[in-house]
Amino acid sequence: MTTADEVRLVVPARPEFLRLARVTAAGLAGRMGFSYDEVEDLRLAIDELCFGLTGPTGRHGTVELLYLIDEGSLVVEGQGHFLEDIAPIMLTDLSRVILTALVDEHDLVTGPNGPLFRLLKRRHSNAALAGD
Amino acid sequence: MTEREPLKETFAAYARTGDIVLRDQLVAAHMGLAAYLARRFANRGQPLEDLTQVASLGLLKAVDRFDPGLQIEFSTYATTTIVGELKRYLRDKGWAVRAPRRMQELYLNLSQVVDGLGQELGRSPTIAELAAEVEASEEEVLEALEAGQAYRFASLDSPKSDAEGGEPVGESIGEEDQELARAEQRATLAPLLGQLPRRQRQIVHLRFFGGLTQSEIAHRLGISQMQVSRLLARSVAQLRSLAEDSRSQEEA
Repeated sequence: MTTADEVRLVVPARPEFLRLARVTAAGLAGRMGFSYDEVEDLRLAIDELCFGLTGPTGRHGTVELLYLIDEGSLVVEGQGHFLEDIAPIMLTDLSRVILTALVDEHDLVTGPNGPLFRLLKRRHSNAALAGD
Repeated sequence: MTEREPLKETFAAYARTGDIVLRDQLVAAHMGLAAYLARRFANRGQPLEDLTQVASLGLLKAVDRFDPGLQIEFSTYATTTIVGELKRYLRDKGWAVRAPRRMQELYLNLSQVVDGLGQELGRSPTIAELAAEVEASEEEVLEALEAGQAYRFASLDSPKSDAEGGEPVGESIGEEDQELARAEQRATLAPLLGQLPRRQRQIVHLRFFGGLTQSEIAHRLGISQMQVSRLLARSVAQLRSLAEDSRSQEEA
């Protein structure tokens, strides 16, 4: 179910579809008055976490993304639904370094239904919500 | 004393002191060369204004890297650097062939507006502000930004090459690189980061280890924020590919 504060997106678990995940995040962040700097950070972070789920060549199945719009922050949750058994997915050192710099909170764990991630990006800029 | 002698002295003084005023003098003295070379590439579908900007950046790099102790004329050295910069720029515009022309133009326009508006506002502009400035919808702005990015590569894009203004890996290591080396060691990422061109290593270091924003990095390095954004996305994609390669080799 989708409410005014939630957006759901389901894409095939292949890298070429991650563009949709980035564009959706950027679109929502843009609406929320995030700065260009912050939007670019968010896109990189989404890419990093989604790529963690799909791997470089993709998997059989889908990635379901849930974008939760809160006042001044955007939470993105991603759940992999794979039709194949995969080894537990963990963040690499590289991913940890990147994500720590880009977003306020992040996590990637292997849940009962497959791998899932969560990130939170707060709007730190002083930009007024011009146009809203 | 020949006409070139004062310039030679200025080069020597700049190499010794790193004084930006001297650098600016040297750049100004050779702007004609940059403009000339930009015009030679003007028939390849990119605005002359952009080519001149790229050539100027190449000139700046040439001034920074030139060793006045070498038995080579600066104009010869600079021509190679500037032409390399122009060719790289045109090659990287390959994406533009696939993007609608309006998106190409919008991306180019945004690359200037992001910096200009950022300076004017004293902070990073919002997407709505960018859209208003370029007279496009927010969706169009986001589409153009996405089209101009380099998130994914069909193949690893020669990370050891002198791509995007970097120097060949293994060139002299400056103070900034020593800082980077320390950060890398902490994160045990040195083997990966060491394979990126120097400029990309700098940007990765400043963003991910130094905590600078993209606009702050752009200001520090004297390049546009869009360039920082592209190089950062490219670097992450390359690092990821390198990590994958490394894992594959370990498993083999």
